[in-house]
Parts: sequence; structure tokens; C-alpha cells
Amino acid sequence: MMRLLTSLLLGLTLLTAPVYAQNGPLRLDLDIGVIEPLPFAAPNFVPDGPAAAQYAQDISRVVAADLTGTGLFREISSDAFISRVSSFEAPVQFADWKAINAQALVTGAVNVSGNRLTVRFRVWDVFAGQELGNGLQFSGTTEGWRRMAHKVSDQVYSRLTGEGGYFDSRVAFVSESGPKNQRLKRLAIMDYDGANVQYLTDSAAIVLAPRFSPTGDRLLYTSYETGQPRIYVLDVDRVKQSELKTQDGTMSFSPRFSPDGRSIVYSLIQGGNTDLWKMDLASGQSVRLTNTPAIETAPSYSPDGAQIVFESDRSGTPQLYIMPANGGEATRISFGQGRYGTPVWSPRGDLVAFTKQNKGRFHIGVMRVDGSEERLLTSSFLDEGPTWSPNGRVIMFTRETQGASGRSTLYSVDISGRNLRPVRTPDGGSDPSWGPLQN
Amino acid sequence: MDTGTRISAIAHVSLIGWALFGGTFRSEPLPMAVQEVSVISAEQFDVLTAQRNAPEVPTPAALQEPEPPEDEISAPQPVEEEQPRPEVATPPEPEPDPVPEAVEAPPEPEAVEEPPTLEPPEPVTEVLPAPPGPEAQPRPADKVAPEPIAPPPPDVKPDDVETPAVSLDEGAETQQEQQDQTAQEEATDEIVTEAEEVEEYAPRTSPRPRVRPNRPTPPAQPEVAEDQEPTPPEPAPSNEAAINDALAEALEQSDEPSGPPLTIGEKNAMRLAVSQCWNVGALSTDALNTIVVVGFSLTRDGKVEGGSLKLLDSSGGTPGSVDQAYQAARRAVLRCGAKGYQLPADKYEQWQDIEITFNPERMRIK
Repeated sequence: MMRLLTSLLLGLTLLTAPVYAQNGPLRLDLDIGVIEPLPFAAPNFVPDGPAAAQYAQDISRVVAADLTGTGLFREISSDAFISRVSSFEAPVQFADWKAINAQALVTGAVNVSGNRLTVRFRVWDVFAGQELGNGLQFSGTTEGWRRMAHKVSDQVYSRLTGEGGYFDSRVAFVSESGPKNQRLKRLAIMDYDGANVQYLTDSAAIVLAPRFSPTGDRLLYTSYETGQPRIYVLDVDRVKQSELKTQDGTMSFSPRFSPDGRSIVYSLIQGGNTDLWKMDLASGQSVRLTNTPAIETAPSYSPDGAQIVFESDRSGTPQLYIMPANGGEATRISFGQGRYGTPVWSPRGDLVAFTKQNKGRFHIGVMRVDGSEERLLTSSFLDEGPTWSPNGRVIMFTRETQGASGRSTLYSVDISGRNLRPVRTPDGGSDPSWGPLQN
Repeated sequence: MDTGTRISAIAHVSLIGWALFGGTFRSEPLPMAVQEVSVISAEQFDVLTAQRNAPEVPTPAALQEPEPPEDEISAPQPVEEEQPRPEVATPPEPEPDPVPEAVEAPPEPEAVEEPPTLEPPEPVTEVLPAPPGPEAQPRPADKVAPEPIAPPPPDVKPDDVETPAVSLDEGAETQQEQQDQTAQEEATDEIVTEAEEVEEYAPRTSPRPRVRPNRPTPPAQPEVAEDQEPTPPEPAPSNEAAINDALAEALEQSDEPSGPPLTIGEKNAMRLAVSQCWNVGALSTDALNTIVVVGFSLTRDGKVEGGSLKLLDSSGGTPGSVDQAYQAARRAVLRCGAKGYQLPADKYEQWQDIEITFNPERMRIK
């Protein structure tokens, strides 16, 4: 009996214990976080010798500027540093970087041997105490130090965000100088950040709308050299241009390369009507893609080359349409208030950027390719002509200010609508075309 | 002379005599006021004129002019100083014992708050929607957080944790460590594009209220047919066998956490602590479509055990985006737990092992 009572009490004791128990670990769901620039530290790269000292400092600053310029990262001032990186191979003192809340750390070293420059770098996840990816090095001439800095930035950006960078890329644009009624326009090309501007044409003729080829070696643009708008193609390296012949008695403009670079699509005015045409660059043969009494212009290929988004006023006001790349029935995708124009398909293929005019204001916006989720990113007196960064994360466009002294400036904005900022150019700028990442 | 003429003559004479001597038109001397006058000089006349131009007795409140700015009032104007002004516009003079009332009731704010009443009334009053307050209008800010945060004072150091300033007090018995005042950075609860900032005051989207959860289905009652004959009860097992079964079951569960469970508030506090460090701002579009489940263990002081943090599961996205999403989640857990999560020590077994599902779906539309 006593044994039975003891067993009963023990059983009751153990049975009551798990009353509060849960199954396994504590499980939580998190669906709200924060969106803010990620703090990083980029101490000056370590020079391997006196000849590399200036390059090391300059490359570090360009890398930091590239990352900060995205709006996704925030550089921690070197004044706050506890650790000093004096050797590229020395172990990282993570505690010192944690203390200043540096979540990422970029370390590097620069070596100069004659005209040869080598950059080594590593990216660290400070709070995890481990390296992100493996160390990497780039070599080139000392003249190309900025490009090497951009390449380092692309790698750091890619390791921190998981998507490709856009720093080692160039932008073609129309450089504008002089008053509004006597503006001089030249075709120019520059690094994505406004450095290394080179002029490709003189200001003898009006030039418009340069468009990079998919590989970045050629440019299409429209020139009034003959008094009528004509399409030209320019070899970027040799700075040699040639006209793309279209039918006599017509005017052609608004060209854009196909993704494979073998053909172009453009607008052609014939008999007072504007339609879209496609030209095979090897044969020079053109075929008509649209045939309506409306004005059809500003065509842009989808990344896979299967479709074209363009602007048409067939419904009464300029709207956006998508049709098969070889022509056919077009589907309207813009249905909001106002006028839509200059659509450009995202390199990722999921979005279309456009210019919108509504209630006396101009906007740069994005929408999904089916027309849903329209989102206006900017608003000003005149914003137009969007172009995508190679990774589809940033849009560059033209902003013109009001009045006789109004000036055209290039701007860029993140597709989230954050980080709206001007792109510094020596003169005014318009009609940007963002080229691909360089090899 | 006939009788009538005589009567008439007597009556007229009597009337005239009564009027002359009866007192009806008696006159008396009127009271006279005497005013003394004197000759004054031109200077004395100017002084009198100046006093007459001084501010008059305050008009009724409805017609009173708004208070002029403080700097105008504080300018030396002898005439105004002579007037009794209940509104103390000039800065209070330093006194050995400052009067609390003077500080508590500054007159200027009242004058500023009241709209000027001297403006001519509009013939037609149009009711306009009130402009949204700063708390209602999304502000552009570098940081987007679950709750908007007002910008901190300029001399305050930004930090994830808000702490007051502590300065050295030489007279204090126990000396606290000196620290700067910190506050969280300014944050908005959604991204505000330039277009939205100019055109719209109200947010474009608002979180859809959650669907009311269905009522829990009551356990099905066993249908008992009335006419069914009650089944005979099964023979009860012996007490010893039941105790042995219960004992075995209890022993099987002995590795489960014990003690009272975390309250909803405690779980929310933990969730909030991690969310403040879960920064998805630098994540790619693919990573923002990726859900990761991260597991880790905590020490008794709430710190993450070294090497315990690992990716348990993921859904959506590419292998690369899973890695990025995991890195962001890992940074969140490690960064906000660097000083130890504040969890009830007596419930350690409940939170020793934690699994968190990081779902960035709602952050994509911020």
C-alpha cells in the first residue's frame, strides 16, 4: 500500500510539471524590420610602398563613394575607428569594429610596380566575425585606377546585397551648354559617377537620344546634321560614325538596339505618319512593325528580345503598349491619369520605367509589365527620358528647370524612390543612356 | 354794456391778474458753473498732446490686435512702459527667487496661438481640410522602421538604444560612468518618394486589417442516441498500471522546457528587439522574396551562444538570395543580442532555444 501511494505521488508530481511545457524551442515570426543604410567601414587601403600611397587612398575613397552613393550603405567616419588596419594580412579585430557598429568592413592593399597597379581586397561581416566571399585582386595600369576601384565596389556591393553592381559602367548623354534658345549639344560619354567625360561629337549639329549597344561598343543616336532627323551609329572606341540609311523622303529617330545587338527598332515618319520599324543591321533591310494612323514611337525591347514596349496615341492620348517583337497586336498597359511616354524595359524584365505628365508636372515612374503597381518616383517641372542601371536597381533621367535660364541636369533615383540625387557633369546634360558593365 | 360783455370782461381781467401775480411764470436764478482757466506754454501743450496719443484702454479681446513680436516689445518705448500691460512680453528680469508663475504663464504663446482677428471676414467661408500634422504626413528619412521616430536633437548621438546623458557628478557618493545621450535615428514608417512628398499628404497604402480569426470549432459532441442502451463500462485498469503509464509518459517529456511560458508581451518584446536590427534596406529584390528560418541558442544572460546560429529552413528565392536573407537575419540576431536580450531569467528554459522566421513580405511595399 505504501509503495502504491509513493508511486501515485511521484506520478502526480511528474504529470503536473509539463503543464506549462511547449514543444521544442521558442518560435517567433518576424515580418517587420527596418530599412536604413547599412553602416560600413572602409579604412584606407594599405599601400605596399610609397608609390602606392596616393593610389591606395584614392581607390579607398572611390570605393566608399560608390557604396555610399547607392543610398544603401553609410560610411562610418575614420575618426570613429578604434582599430587601424596597418597590414592587409593581419587578423581583423572584430570587437573594435562592432563597437562602432560597423556591420561590414572592407580592407585592401595596393601595389604599384612601374605602370602596373594591383588592388587586393576582402569584405568582412563584422558581427558574424567572418569573411564574405574570398579575397580578390585586380591588376591593370595606373591610368585605370578608377576602373579598378569601381570593380572593387561592384564586388563589395554584390557580396553585401546579393545582386550585381553597376559601378564599372559608362553613361552616354547629350552635353548641353549655352542659353536655352541657343543651346549647343554634343554627344558625350562618362563614367557612371560623372568622371572621365569624353566628347564624341562637336556641337555643329543637334544630336539627340544616344542609345548604347548591349555590349557597350556602339552608340545609336539621332542627328540633324542633314537638316532632317537621321539615325547614326557610332563606334565608341574609334569615335567613328556612320548613317543608317532608311527610305528616301523619310525621317527616322528614336532608335534602340535589340538585346542581341543585331537589329534596331526605330520610329519612321512617312507621309506624315509615324510608325515603328525594325532594321537588320547586317543587311540594312527594314520591316514595318506597326501600321496605324497614330504616332508610335519610343520602342524598347524586353531583355529576352521577344516583346517591345512603346508609346502610342492611338487611344487619343499617349499611352504605353506592348507588342510582339515582330509586330502584331498591341496590348495597352498604362491606364492612369495623364500622358505616358518614353518607356524602357528593365534589365531584370519585371518593370517598365516611363515618363508621365499629369496635372502640369512630370514624373519618372515604374510599373510592372502588365501595367500593375504603378509607382511615381519623382516630380518636377520637367523629368523625362529614364534609363536603367545594368542591375536594374537605379534609374537615371533628365531634369530640366523652369524659365529661360532653365538648365538640364542628369539625376538618378533608386527604384524604391529613395536616394534621388544629381549626377555631376561639367555642363548640363540630357538624354542619358546607361551602358552595360565593362569587361 | 350787456350782461354777457361784463361777465367776459371780468373773466379776462381775472385771468390776466392770476397769470401776472399767481406765480406761474416766476423766475429764479439758474445755478452757474465757474471754470478757472490759465495760459500754458507750447512745450506743456506738446506734453499733453503726447499723452493723449498713448495707447488707450485695451479694447475687447475680440478686436485686440495680436501681440507684436517680442523684440519689438522689448525695444525701449517710454509710452508703452507707462501702460499697464498684463502680458509680460519682456524677458523676466533675473531675480534671486524666480517666481514660478512667471515661467508657467508666458503670454506670448497665447497670442501666437490665437488667429489674428483683425482680418476682414471672408464673404464666403470655405471649409478646407485641415493640413495634416507632422505625425500624419510621411516624412522622407533615411531609415524606415515599424514605427516612425521623430528626429533626435542635433547634439544627441544616434544609437539603436535610447539612453540619457550621464555626466560626472563630483558630489555624488556613487559615481556613474560618464556617457553621451543617445537616441534612435529619425525614421519614417514607409518610403516617401518625391512624387508622393509633393502631391499627397496621406500615405498611399495602409495595412489591410487582418481577417478576424475564425472561432475555434467546438469539439464535436458525441451523439448519444436516447434510445441507445448504455454500454457497460469497461473494466477499470488497475491503479498500478495507470500510474506506471503516466510515469512513463512523464519521463518521456522530461526533456521539454519547464516552468511558466513566456507571456505575449515577453514574446513581443523579443520580437521587437530583433526587428530593430533586421535591416533589409540593402537586400536585393530576390532576397526580399525569400523567407528564412533561423535557429539559435541563448545563454542565461541572453547572449547568443557562439556557433549556435544556423539556417534551418528557407522558401522562395535563389540560393544566392537565401544566403543574403540569412546574412541579414544573422546580423539582426547578433547585433541586437550583443548585450544580451532582456528575457525573464526564471523562464530560461522557455527561451534557451529560439527559432525565428524572417518574412520580408511586408517590407517590400514599404
